[in-house]
Amino acid sequence: MMRVFMEKMVEYLSWALALLLCLSVSVFLSYLLIKGLPSLGSELVFGKADPLSALLGRERVFDGIFPAIIGTLCLVVLSTLMALPLGICSGVYLSEYATPIMKKVVGGLFDVLAGIPSIVVGLYGFSVAIFLHHHFSDRLGPCLLISAISLGVLVLPYIVRSTQTSLEELPAHIRHTATALGATRLQNIAYVLIPNALSGISSGVILAIGRCAEDTAVILLTGVVATAGVPSSLLSQYEALPFYIFYISSQYTSPAELSNGYGACLVLLGICSVLFMVAHGMQKRLFHWALYRP
Amino acid sequence: MLTHGFRIGIVLVISLFVSKPCLGGAIDVFDGQKGTIKIAGGTAHIPVMKEAAKRIMTRNKDIVITVAGGGSGVGIKQVGEGLVDIGNSGRKAKPEEVEKYGLKMFKWAVDGVGVVVNPANPVKSLTKDQLKRIYAGEIDNWSKIGGVDHGITIYTRDEASGTRAVFWGRALGKGEITTSALFVPSNGAMKTAVANDPHAIGYVSVGHIDETVAPVALDGVTPTLDTVKSGQYSISRGLYSNTKGDPTGLTKLFIEYLLSTEGQQIAAEKGFIPVK
Amino acid sequence: MRPSKELLAKSVFLCCAIASAAIILAILGFMVALGIPLFRESTFSAIWSGPWAPHRGAYGIWAMISGTFWIAFLAAMICLPLSLGMSFVISSLAGRRVRKLLGALVRFMTGIPTVIYGFIGIFLLVPLIREGLGGPGICVLTASIMLAILISPTMILFFTDSLLAVNAAYVQAAKALGANRVQRLLYVMVPRALGGMASGFILALGRALGDTLIALMLAGNAIRPPQGFLEPARTLTAHIALVKAADFDSMEFRSIFACGIALYLFTILATIAVRMMARERVAVS
Repeated sequence: MMRVFMEKMVEYLSWALALLLCLSVSVFLSYLLIKGLPSLGSELVFGKADPLSALLGRERVFDGIFPAIIGTLCLVVLSTLMALPLGICSGVYLSEYATPIMKKVVGGLFDVLAGIPSIVVGLYGFSVAIFLHHHFSDRLGPCLLISAISLGVLVLPYIVRSTQTSLEELPAHIRHTATALGATRLQNIAYVLIPNALSGISSGVILAIGRCAEDTAVILLTGVVATAGVPSSLLSQYEALPFYIFYISSQYTSPAELSNGYGACLVLLGICSVLFMVAHGMQKRLFHWALYRP
Repeated sequence: MLTHGFRIGIVLVISLFVSKPCLGGAIDVFDGQKGTIKIAGGTAHIPVMKEAAKRIMTRNKDIVITVAGGGSGVGIKQVGEGLVDIGNSGRKAKPEEVEKYGLKMFKWAVDGVGVVVNPANPVKSLTKDQLKRIYAGEIDNWSKIGGVDHGITIYTRDEASGTRAVFWGRALGKGEITTSALFVPSNGAMKTAVANDPHAIGYVSVGHIDETVAPVALDGVTPTLDTVKSGQYSISRGLYSNTKGDPTGLTKLFIEYLLSTEGQQIAAEKGFIPVK
Repeated sequence: MRPSKELLAKSVFLCCAIASAAIILAILGFMVALGIPLFRESTFSAIWSGPWAPHRGAYGIWAMISGTFWIAFLAAMICLPLSLGMSFVISSLAGRRVRKLLGALVRFMTGIPTVIYGFIGIFLLVPLIREGLGGPGICVLTASIMLAILISPTMILFFTDSLLAVNAAYVQAAKALGANRVQRLLYVMVPRALGGMASGFILALGRALGDTLIALMLAGNAIRPPQGFLEPARTLTAHIALVKAADFDSMEFRSIFACGIALYLFTILATIAVRMMARERVAVS
C-alpha cells in the first residue's frame, strides 16, 4: 500500500516539477517578448542613423546596437576560423591515428579544458595581453584579436570532441569498405569518414559558434568596452551584444535605453536559439548534398 | 596650489593653441586627424566622455574613441601601464602614482559625492554620524532613523572607485564600511540600483543625481549642483583626465576639447560644474 | 608520391593535436608560473583564508570561496529535483508527443545565453524575492534559482540519456512481469542509471561553480561569507571580473590569480570524478 502510494507520488511529483520548469521558462520568455517586442525595429539596431549608410560604413551608429552586433559577428567569425582547422585536425588525429594512451591523455586534457570556467580563460587571455604589452609592443593590449583567440581556446574542446566522437561512432562497414577497395588511409578519411561524420562535426561547430556569440565572461576581461563603434582593426577595442546587455542591465540611464536592452536580449536570443536548433536538427543528407554534390 | 598652477598652465597652453585656428567651434581641430583614443577609468566621467566621443566621431570618421569604465584606480593604472591613452579619475592621483607613472592631471570639472536613497523613502536627511553608523552596520533598520520598519540595504563601490575614496574619506571620516554591503561597479549602476530598491542607500556623483533617486541632506545640506558650487556642500571633488607624460597628438586635442567652450558646455549639460 | 602525402597528412594532424594540447598546458603553465608567489609562506594563509580589505592591505579570498560554494551547491540542490522530475517525464512517464515536445524545450534551453538569464533575474526575480522574502532581493537565493535553471538542461540531458541507455532487455522483462511505467522506472531504470546520473550532477555542479555572469549580476558581490540564503555573496568568478588589475606585481593581481587557480583545481577534480565514474560504469557493464 505504502509502495503504491509512493509510486503515485513520484509520478505526480515528476509531472509537477517538469511543469514548474516549463512554466518558469515560458514566463521568462514571454516576459522578454512582452517587454522587448515593442522596441524591435530599425531604431534599435541603427539608432538615428540611416540603416543603409550605416551598413555601408558611411555613417556611424551611436544609440543602436549595430556596433555591438558587428563586434559579436567579428568575434564569432575570427574565433571559429582559428579554432576550426585546429580542432578538426586534432579530432581526426585523436580518432584515426592516436594510440590508446595518447587518446586517454590528450582526451583528458580536452575534458579539463571543456570544464574550465570561461572567466579563467578570460583571465589567461588578459594576462597574455598584458605580457605582450610589456614585452613586445605598446600597441598590444586587450583587443578584438586577444578576445577572439581566448574564445577560440574556449570552444576548441567542443570541436575536437565532436569530431572525434562522430568519427569513432561510424559503423565498421563504412569505415572499412574503401580501404578494402584499395583506398589509402588519407583517401578514406577525406572521402569517406569525414563526409559521413559531417553532421556530427557540424553540430559541434555550431555549438561552438553559439558559445562564442553568448559568452560574456571572456570578453569582459579581454577588451570589450561600452562605446567603441564598429571595430576598425584586430587590435582595436570593440562592443559586443552580450556585454551590451550586461552593461544596460546595471546602468541604463533612461527607460528607452532599458527597452533597448530588452530588444538586444531578443536579438541575441534569436541568434543563439537558431544556431542551437540548427545544430540539433542538422540533417546529414542536406550537408552531404551541399558539400559533395556530384 | 599645485592644481592651481596646473590650471593656469593648461589655460596658457590652450590659449596658445586655440587662438590660432578658430574660436567658434573647438571641434574643428579634429578635421583631418586620424587615429584612436582609448579612454578608461572613472565612471562619473562616462556621460561626458560618451557625448564628446559622439560629437567628434560624428564629425570625423577617421577617429575612433573607445570609452570603458572600471573606476578611477583602474583608469590611473591602465594609463600608467600604457594600456589606454587617457585614464579618468574622480579623485586626484596619489603622489606615488604620479611619481611612478609620470602622470599629468587635467581637471575639467567639479563634482560632488552625494548620498542617495529611493524616492519612496521618507528619510531625506541624515547627520554625518548617522551616516557613519549606517555604513558601519550599527544602524541596520530604517525605523531607527525615522523611516519604515525594514532593513537597510547598503550599496557601495569597490576599492578602485574614486567616488568611494572621496566618500569614504570625507563623509565617513575613513570609518568602517560593513562587509555585508552590496557592490556595484559604477556611478550609473549605483543610481540604477538605488532607483530600483526602495530600501537602499548609496552614494553617487552629484552630476548623476536625477529624479529616479532622492538626494539626502547631510547635516542639513542637500547635495545639488548649487550647494556644491557655492561650497556649502563640502564633499566635492574634481573630475580629472590623466595622461602618461605630456599628452600628444589626438590625446592632446581631446583634452583640449574637454577644456574648450564646447567641452565645458557638455560637462555642464551632464550635471557637472565646469572649471571655466 | 602517395606515401609522402600520407605522411604529410599524418604529421599535419599530429601537429594540430600537439598544438591544441600545448594550448591547454600553456594555460596551466601560465597559472602555475604566475601563481607560485602565492604559495610562499607569508602570503599563503593571508590569501587563502584572510579577509578582503585592500585599504588595510588584506587580500584574502576566503569569502569568495565560501560564496562560490553556497551559490553553486544551492543551485545544484534546486536543480536536482527539477531535473529528476523532467527526466523521469521525458524518459518514461510521458507519451511520445509530449516527450518530443519537452525534449525540444530542453534543447532550446541549452541555447539561451547566460546574460539573458541574468537580465531577466534582475528585473523579474529580484523584486519578487525582495517583496516576498525580504532582504535586498539581490542575494544567494536569487542567483541560485537562476543558476539552477541555467544548468538544468545539462542535468536533464545527462539524466535522460543514462535512463534511456539502460538495456532494453531489462525493461522488457520487467514489463512482462507486469510492472507498470513508474515501477519500471523506479526499480529497473534508475538503479542502473545512477552512475551516469551522478556524472551529470557533477558536470552541472561544475557549470554552476564556473559561471560568472549570474552571480555577478544577481548575488550582490558583498565580500563576506554569506550567513543565509537571503544575504548577498561574491563568487570567485565574479571577483575575477570585478577586480581589474593591470600590473602583474600588485597583490590584487596575485589574489585574482589565486581565484583562477582555485577554480582550475575544482574543474580538474570534477573532471577526474566524472572520468572515474565513467570507467566504473564501463567495468560494470
